[in-house]
Amino acid sequence: MVKFILFMMSVLFVVSFVGFSCKPSPIYGGLGLIIGGGVGCGVVLYFGGAFLGLMVFLVYLGGMLVVFGYTTAMATEEFPEIWMSSTTVMGSLCLGLLAEGLIVVYLKGGDEKMWGAESLVMFSGEEVGFIREDYLAGSILYSGGNWMLLLSGWCLFVSVFIVMEITRGR
Amino acid sequence: MNPLASIIMSSTLISGTLITLISSHWLMAWMGLEMNMFAIIPMIMKNNSPRAIEAATKYFLIQASASMLLLMAASLNFMYSGQWTLTEMNVSMASLIMLIAMLMKLGMAPFHFWVPEVTQGTVLLTSLIILTWQKLAPLAILFQIAPSINVNIILTTAILSILIGGWGGLNQTQLRKIMAYSSIAHMGWMAAVMIYNPTLMLLNLLLYLIFTFSAFTILIKCSSTSTSMLTMTWNSYPLMVSVLLIILLSMGGLPPLTGFVPKWLIIYELIKNTNIAMTLTMSILALLNLFFYLRLIYASSLTLFPTSSNLKFKWKINTPNKMYFLPTMVSISLLFLPVSPMILMLN
Repeated sequence: MVKFILFMMSVLFVVSFVGFSCKPSPIYGGLGLIIGGGVGCGVVLYFGGAFLGLMVFLVYLGGMLVVFGYTTAMATEEFPEIWMSSTTVMGSLCLGLLAEGLIVVYLKGGDEKMWGAESLVMFSGEEVGFIREDYLAGSILYSGGNWMLLLSGWCLFVSVFIVMEITRGR
Repeated sequence: MNPLASIIMSSTLISGTLITLISSHWLMAWMGLEMNMFAIIPMIMKNNSPRAIEAATKYFLIQASASMLLLMAASLNFMYSGQWTLTEMNVSMASLIMLIAMLMKLGMAPFHFWVPEVTQGTVLLTSLIILTWQKLAPLAILFQIAPSINVNIILTTAILSILIGGWGGLNQTQLRKIMAYSSIAHMGWMAAVMIYNPTLMLLNLLLYLIFTFSAFTILIKCSSTSTSMLTMTWNSYPLMVSVLLIILLSMGGLPPLTGFVPKWLIIYELIKNTNIAMTLTMSILALLNLFFYLRLIYASSLTLFPTSSNLKFKWKINTPNKMYFLPTMVSISLLFLPVSPMILMLN
């Protein structure tokens, strides 16, 4: 039953991405990312990563998407492009949903067992440890993964400069 | 651009490629490629015309899709073999997807459509960086996964690239597009030999970098972006047009210039692997490349087109003071053929 919920969350993840990649108005991007981020956290929580899932909720949905929502609300136009407004948008939405439906049917394959995720994931075995892996990973980033931390920090720093240069205009 | 922002972009560009070159984990290789891509986007958009913005958008979309394919291939490889090592690409499906991703990044056929448009949409120096520095990281990845590359796909891509690089460049008058099609053709030659002898691919890459860098240096110094502007350089920089002749003939692969060495060795290596029909086709298609290089030489140095100036030379010849190693590169383009036995020893 819980594996069925996991499957449905994965499907909803893809459907929410289809919902904004058919390029309607950006406010649909916010909607799609909220739903997608929420069910993505659900998937991560299913596999035991409570810390990282809640971190995504807090920082991504609670910080970045809030800012994105406010800027989209400031930059919205009078007649936004909705899902039904043009043949292109509706066509690509239907195509995306159709492709996702075909993949779901293919993966199910008539076998009840396939609602679960056994064929899609590798189990690394049940080890007994004293520290949960997600907390461990969060702290390893600062100790053994210092090069990765430096690179990620540098990339985020550079991306601010890049966005400023790109949106500078004439 | 603000000098601080310019330094940050350039250092990210250089360090991105270096990170991909020295990495052994797929995640670091991907990260280096992403750093490369996003550091060059504002450099493409530097002059802010709609053409440059369109070129930057096209470059970003293609390279981002290729990076996504790279991540998928690396994840598939991890799923079926349990390790992230760059050199152990044992899953054939993952190797195929990785090959397609790298072909998209390099601009080889059938993913070549962005190369002329992006190269044309920006200034000469940035298009030089796109055609030379940006090729290093994907070719390094291909060099490391070379034992597992699907032979049919890469040979098909190679022959298509040589054909499209030669044929597409025939109708061009804009120099940046000519160099873009020349790049597509050279990538085809490199791909053809990669599965048989990856060291020769590196030799071809090194010589291609030298030729392209020299050609672009001359074009930048003469500030010419089309063939008609190239016809007017003889009275400002008379020595440079002769040097351009040497470089273009070398790029076309004429003996006794250095450009013959990679083609000769590649043909030899392919024939050793009994691949004769394809070798014959590649050699014949290289003539298309030579034709449009010859057209440039014809326009610039072999004939003098009618100009408004009646004098042979200008009364004031200003020598450009920063030549960016052009004499060294030209000497290598001209005289390096007798060194080829030593290069063969590097195998």
